[in-house]
Amino acid sequence: MQSLTTPLLFVIALAVIGYFVAKSRAMQVAGGDIRLLVSLPRQHALSTTLATLVPACGAVLLFALYSRIAGTTPGWFLSLVILGLGVTGFALSLIGIKIESRARTYSERWIMALLIFSSTIAIMTTVGIVFSMLFETFNFFGQYDWRDFFFSTTWSPNFRGNSDLGIIPLLWGTLYVSFIALLFAVPIGLFAAIYLSEYASPRMRSVAKPAIEILAGIPTIVYGLFALITVGPLLRDYFAEPMGFGQSASSVMTAGLVMGIMLIPFVSSLSDDIINAVPQAMRDGSLGLGATPSETIRQVVIPAALPGIVGAILLAASRAIGETMIVVLGAGAAARLSLNPFEAMTTVTVKIVSQLTGDTDFASPETLVAFALGLTLFVITLGLNVFALYIVRKYREQYE
Amino acid sequence: MTNSLLQSDARTKKRNAAEARFRAYGFSAICVAMFALVILLTSVLLNGVSSFQQTFVTLPIELVEERVDKQGNRDRAEMAKTTTIGYAPLLRDAFVAEIESLGIETELGARDLADMISKEAAATVRNRVLADPTLVGQTIEFDLLASGRIDAYFKGDVTMESAALDGNTSPEALMVAQALADAGIMETKFNWGFFTRPDASVQRPEAAGLGVAILGSIYMMLVVLFLALPIGVASSIYLEEFAPKNRITDIIEVNISNLAAVPSIVYGILGLAIFINFMEFNQSSPLVGGLVLTLMTLPTIIISTRAALKSVPPSIRDAALGVGASKMQSVFHHVLPLAAPGILTGTIIGLAQALGETAPLLLIGMVAFVREYPAAYTPEAGLFGEASTALPVQVFNWTQRSDPAFVERASGAIITLLVFLLIMNAVAIYLRRRFERRW
Amino acid sequence: MEDMIHMDRAMSAQQDIKISAKGVQVYYGDNHAIKDVDVEIEDKTVTAFIGPSGCGKSTFLRCINRMNDTIDVARVTGDIRIDGEDIYDPKVDPVQLRAKVGMVFQKPNPFPKSIYDNVAYGPKIHGLARNKADLDEIVEKSLRKAALWNEAKDRLDSPGTGLSGGQQQRLCIARAIATAPEVLLMDEPCSALDPIATAQVEELIDELRQSYSVVIVTHSMQQAARVSQRTAFFHLGNLVEYDTTDKIFTNPQDPRTESYISGRIG
Repeated sequence: MQSLTTPLLFVIALAVIGYFVAKSRAMQVAGGDIRLLVSLPRQHALSTTLATLVPACGAVLLFALYSRIAGTTPGWFLSLVILGLGVTGFALSLIGIKIESRARTYSERWIMALLIFSSTIAIMTTVGIVFSMLFETFNFFGQYDWRDFFFSTTWSPNFRGNSDLGIIPLLWGTLYVSFIALLFAVPIGLFAAIYLSEYASPRMRSVAKPAIEILAGIPTIVYGLFALITVGPLLRDYFAEPMGFGQSASSVMTAGLVMGIMLIPFVSSLSDDIINAVPQAMRDGSLGLGATPSETIRQVVIPAALPGIVGAILLAASRAIGETMIVVLGAGAAARLSLNPFEAMTTVTVKIVSQLTGDTDFASPETLVAFALGLTLFVITLGLNVFALYIVRKYREQYE
Repeated sequence: MTNSLLQSDARTKKRNAAEARFRAYGFSAICVAMFALVILLTSVLLNGVSSFQQTFVTLPIELVEERVDKQGNRDRAEMAKTTTIGYAPLLRDAFVAEIESLGIETELGARDLADMISKEAAATVRNRVLADPTLVGQTIEFDLLASGRIDAYFKGDVTMESAALDGNTSPEALMVAQALADAGIMETKFNWGFFTRPDASVQRPEAAGLGVAILGSIYMMLVVLFLALPIGVASSIYLEEFAPKNRITDIIEVNISNLAAVPSIVYGILGLAIFINFMEFNQSSPLVGGLVLTLMTLPTIIISTRAALKSVPPSIRDAALGVGASKMQSVFHHVLPLAAPGILTGTIIGLAQALGETAPLLLIGMVAFVREYPAAYTPEAGLFGEASTALPVQVFNWTQRSDPAFVERASGAIITLLVFLLIMNAVAIYLRRRFERRW
Repeated sequence: MEDMIHMDRAMSAQQDIKISAKGVQVYYGDNHAIKDVDVEIEDKTVTAFIGPSGCGKSTFLRCINRMNDTIDVARVTGDIRIDGEDIYDPKVDPVQLRAKVGMVFQKPNPFPKSIYDNVAYGPKIHGLARNKADLDEIVEKSLRKAALWNEAKDRLDSPGTGLSGGQQQRLCIARAIATAPEVLLMDEPCSALDPIATAQVEELIDELRQSYSVVIVTHSMQQAARVSQRTAFFHLGNLVEYDTTDKIFTNPQDPRTESYISGRIG
């Protein structure tokens, strides 16, 4: 890395110099009368700068990546290539400055290249995500039987070896917490959206809508702390212990309830958009027949919006499944298959965190399992998202 | 069918009752949501607001030369050999003397009394002396941190009853503390150190601060701003203005909306595998944190930038093209400036999201215990390469410690975080209001 | 033809007054949309509201079944009576009123349900059918009245949105008829339809006159002349002239009506 910095700095300096040299050269070619030039001096300058900079920077990125893969430090040869690219671009551009040269077209081509490169970063991110997990997951399954991973019902990692790394208790905890969260968030979010879009006065809307949006802007660590210091002890002292369900402050219920609060604005703002997309004519038709507003909502608006609402719920579910901080602080760490919602259970995300923080050894299955867990999580949420986004998109098109 | 309209029949009454019920459900849903918000905020506020206050002891301490500067030459390197352990007796003697001079009677020995002062206090005195060796030999008045239990007593979290069961303090110590407070020696005042000090070890909750975390968060936000904004805007411009409508563009679009919904922890795994294991960037560094958060924030910025670009009417583009501007010029000279407020708002909201994000940072090692302020650049570690922590991670860190004083600190850190977020969102709302344009 | 008109006139003379409005004012926020309108609408008659766009004819129509209630900024004053009962009386439930005064809208707006459920919707919510057989009968009767039965009887379970524009509008009429209304309000029911579908709907309107008092808003003078017995001309929120249709079209009293009829304003 270090050895590439020097040529890079040199190229940057060259590019800056190029800007001013090209400008004055263009003026010189035109004999001081810029009206003669096809392209402005500024555009010649920009074209020179970009021609110097872009290929060289591309080479730096490429070489850096190459030397990582090859495991070598980049030698003087590569530095020379970078310098060569910079100097070539610099010289060619300067020589190319003529009265009739179209510098604007050249510079726009370089800019276009940068724009296209930027938009591929999103793709590269996805590829990076998939490969980073796929690679280590293969390593993991090389050391640990995949059938045990997917079908074993015990999770007890043991750093001396012989661990049981079954995903089922983790998935159970994840789904249980998500289920409780949705049980809480979907009716409240949906009713809130209905009330805001169909009943509330403009004044009430102007208060309640931002207030609900505030909930959406609060970081999940805040919800996590809320679960840890307020909701957990409260549920334990007033529900779990008196009713004999257990003595644990962190529980599926704690995490689910708090996650439900987090999801309310998510469900309500998505449903709000979807309900508003139902044409007013539909409501008028129903009201004109003498239906009450609630009959109109229940029998006309909701059925019309149903695909969109289902999509919104799926998106919320995917968020619940992937949520980390609330369950880390609220759900507990014990992998357990139980129906009692007041018992501590653990989730896929909690275990990813616990297996990958602290001293980790990237050769042991106990660490590598986190990547398999991550990949499983990614596949589940991706599936939900793709499906949900597809439904929502189809729904939107219907009313456009 | 000639029913009078003036009387409602039984069925209509029933239907209207159902209507009222339905409405009530909606209203109560709003109330539940608002109630949750209020409870959430008050719980954090009530728990955390006390962390902005801290109990200090004002003590005159004689900086005895034989103890502080054994060579007597005021050479800093020599004096630095005296550790905080060497300073502890000075503090103890000064404290005991102060208590005696005030005539406070207690059965506690000197050792128990010294425990009422934070273990951090010796370091405070030592740093002051090393910064200014001329102080040696004089008697200087110091504002020193009281220990966590004494502090908690003045905040009402420790009582005489709980102290009797506590190995770290005793009712007698609390009585002495009360007497000192009555004498004006002990005082609870605003705790600037909370924002400037680094984290402290498990035994010294009173000394723990957010300094390193705030600095680390600022570094990461800089990385995110300088990477995510240009990349996000560039790719939005390409997708919105130039991209041909074909399969590849479609894939990129679907891909972006999916990336926006990928769980944040997955980005942490990506950061760990790519940036740390593969690229071998420094663990716990703001650079890696910033890169991970950049990738996370990109979809948000792209989505809002595209919306902003879309809202600029085509007539503007046509006008620019009509006077002979190239497509690129029409975008950069006309469309982009008009879309700037929307882009900025989206960016700030993206940054706010990144600022509060915790899970991915846990995986790239930002949970580490860091006491040194990270430098922005060092030749060895590179740009933003020194180990650091971040605000939300510091919160998580403190929740994992057993001393209840850290819960108070965690809530205080949350308040600080929320204030930052509030400011960012207020700026975003202001920008949107100020520059909102209707076409 | 002449005879028929005479007959109509003779009939209308002995008709009862179904709806009577006195001094109706409508405000949309600060906009005074309807200014002091007095009108009496007869039973078993088709009454047309005509006028240039924005003259308030639709607004007035929406007052008759209180659809303006659903718009926050709209405010209605004055006195509208149906069968002598003030429909803006606080004791009146708009839900009951709208069952009695059905409405058909400008754009066909079938619900995203099956054809059967579209028609059955009104009877179900108002509880007009004691059992399934009853409901089936109402649906069939309504569809027959709306001249849609032959086209729809084999596809009652397919979605109403799958019908053609003219069929959709007749479905909406069937839907309105199914609640057994006494008055049928139609807000430019043919504006979204092609000429053939328009002809079908107009024919239907003429038949509906047997059973209902029909009030139709239209921007087409020809349509008003074809389907209505009485016509009201609105201009800038005022009711300018109200008389039998042939009088309005052959011998208008007000110069404004005359200019509109002859195409000089509007």
